[in-house]
Amino acid sequence: MNNIYMPHLAEINEIIDESPDTRTFRLKFKDAETADRFEFKAGQFAEYSAFGDGESTFCIASSPTRKDFIECSFKVYGKVTQALHRLNRGDTIGIRGPYGNWFPLEDLKGKNLLFIAGGIGIAPVRCVIDNVLDMRDDFKDLTIICGARSVSDLIYKQELKEWKARIDIKTIITVDPGGETPAWDGEVGFVPAVIEKLAPPSDNTAVILCGPPVMIKFTMPVLTKLGFKDEDVYTTLENRMKCGLGKCGRCNIGNVYVCKDGPVFTYAQIKRMPQEF
Amino acid sequence: MDEKIILKNDLLKICQDVIDKGHTLLTPGITEYNIVKDVSMIKFDASALPTKTSYKSYVFPKTEPVLYYKRGKSDVQLIDVNVDGKNVIILGAKPCDANSIKIMKHLFNWDYNDEFFNLREKHFIIIGLMCSHYDEYCFCTSVDSSPASEKGSDIFLIPIDENKFAVRIITEKGKEFIEPYSEYLKNGDEKISKQVTKNVKLPEVAFDSKEVHEWLGENFESPKWEGIGDLCLSCAQCAFVCPVCHCFDIVDEDYSYTEGRRMKNWDGCQFGNFTLHASGHNPRDIQSKRYRQRVNHKFRYYVDKFGEILCTGCGRCSRGCPVSIDIKEIVSNCKD
Repeated sequence: MNNIYMPHLAEINEIIDESPDTRTFRLKFKDAETADRFEFKAGQFAEYSAFGDGESTFCIASSPTRKDFIECSFKVYGKVTQALHRLNRGDTIGIRGPYGNWFPLEDLKGKNLLFIAGGIGIAPVRCVIDNVLDMRDDFKDLTIICGARSVSDLIYKQELKEWKARIDIKTIITVDPGGETPAWDGEVGFVPAVIEKLAPPSDNTAVILCGPPVMIKFTMPVLTKLGFKDEDVYTTLENRMKCGLGKCGRCNIGNVYVCKDGPVFTYAQIKRMPQEF
Repeated sequence: MDEKIILKNDLLKICQDVIDKGHTLLTPGITEYNIVKDVSMIKFDASALPTKTSYKSYVFPKTEPVLYYKRGKSDVQLIDVNVDGKNVIILGAKPCDANSIKIMKHLFNWDYNDEFFNLREKHFIIIGLMCSHYDEYCFCTSVDSSPASEKGSDIFLIPIDENKFAVRIITEKGKEFIEPYSEYLKNGDEKISKQVTKNVKLPEVAFDSKEVHEWLGENFESPKWEGIGDLCLSCAQCAFVCPVCHCFDIVDEDYSYTEGRRMKNWDGCQFGNFTLHASGHNPRDIQSKRYRQRVNHKFRYYVDKFGEILCTGCGRCSRGCPVSIDIKEIVSNCKD
């Protein structure tokens, strides 16, 4: 029987403590054939199991172009993320997926890309950035604007450093007012304000925007003011899910199933949905 | 259409044979569909109201393991489960129940196939029985069905008199089932059975499902939902007695320090924590939003996605509601 609820087993090869409450796991499938066959696209998600506590949904945070492993980043919030946080290097977790749709990178070739990420929202964005960097010549200017509540809450510190060091990407890192340290040399201010100040040009530019709902709410008017069209802003929705397969019935917004029709939507699509998310 | 006549006694002989062969035979009892151990308990009561629950749990169990796990020090071993593909024959399914599995089948098979459902469904044979009685909660005629609807049945029975049924063989599956018993089947007369179905008492059509579909599309923000939300206790009995509600949860259950199983359990969209995020955010945080979801899912979203209404008009949700919320009334009054 083909059991769609059966996860693949993977070993935690590396644990990176990104911030006091956020961790990244580097995972390797136990079964070589699964490792070989597992293919995904930037933006897709998976169900991660801590056996005994259940499954939780997060995006795959590593790029599909880097095939030896997959990575996921999660913030400790509920029962499953706490259980995952208790695991050590060498322990086993379950992975079901990949599920959902993806960022249409093929269609975005030849464009400038503006990445905007807030908090843990940088996880799906990082997957796209790494994917784009591995095919750098297909895209024009890249701009990354990344924000967090405080310096210690910034995740992917290593990657941020690497992106900042590259001359072919413009990287701006900001922390909310009050979250800076004396040694902080980045911006201080909320993400929407930083975008307004920077005023990135909107022509031939697609935006990849992920972050807490409140950030998206205040960022969109700024983007509109700068001339970005709703159809050119891609974001992801994160509703509670159990199955990831369009069956368990909880992630829907109207007749849109976030697990199957999403998680990637343009802002124009989101505006057309019933406002219940 | 292939129409035959069968005597009640001969039908009972078939039932006995089905039991002897080790198949599961289900028939409506007083509160639920019961497994028949003795054919004398079969009533063929076309005038009974729908039982409190349908036979949904035989194809989509209330709770079932999807896998077993054993945890070592850092290793995990997974053990798959197998679904027992035993034949289940439903004798005397109400027309409102007969259609339920066909409606749910879309959901369990769009893109990903849920074999837990499919393997059971494949071994289901549904023998529907025309329904001759309704109460104030019944509304099958408002959701594209009727007490004489053959939809979803493999074989459909129409009582001609006390001891005789007209037998309509609807599907290939039904034909295969009845073939070994063809000695009991006499040639029937369609005119007589049609006369019976024509005279069947129909519940009044309470609403036009197309109009409701349209209204729901335009009135997501209607203040009407608030009034309904104030009444509802969020107990979700409506989902549990519904023959087509299919939402579920996936939960791990440890039964020792190292072993456990992952369960798929019925869930309900009326529960407050159904959509609750770990962060505390809840897209359907108040009862009116949850009731709006229930009605929209049944009469709009499912129709848009799969072309069928997610409701059979059996009225169970309203009959059992502790605060007397009547979905038929809500839907038929939505426009006023």
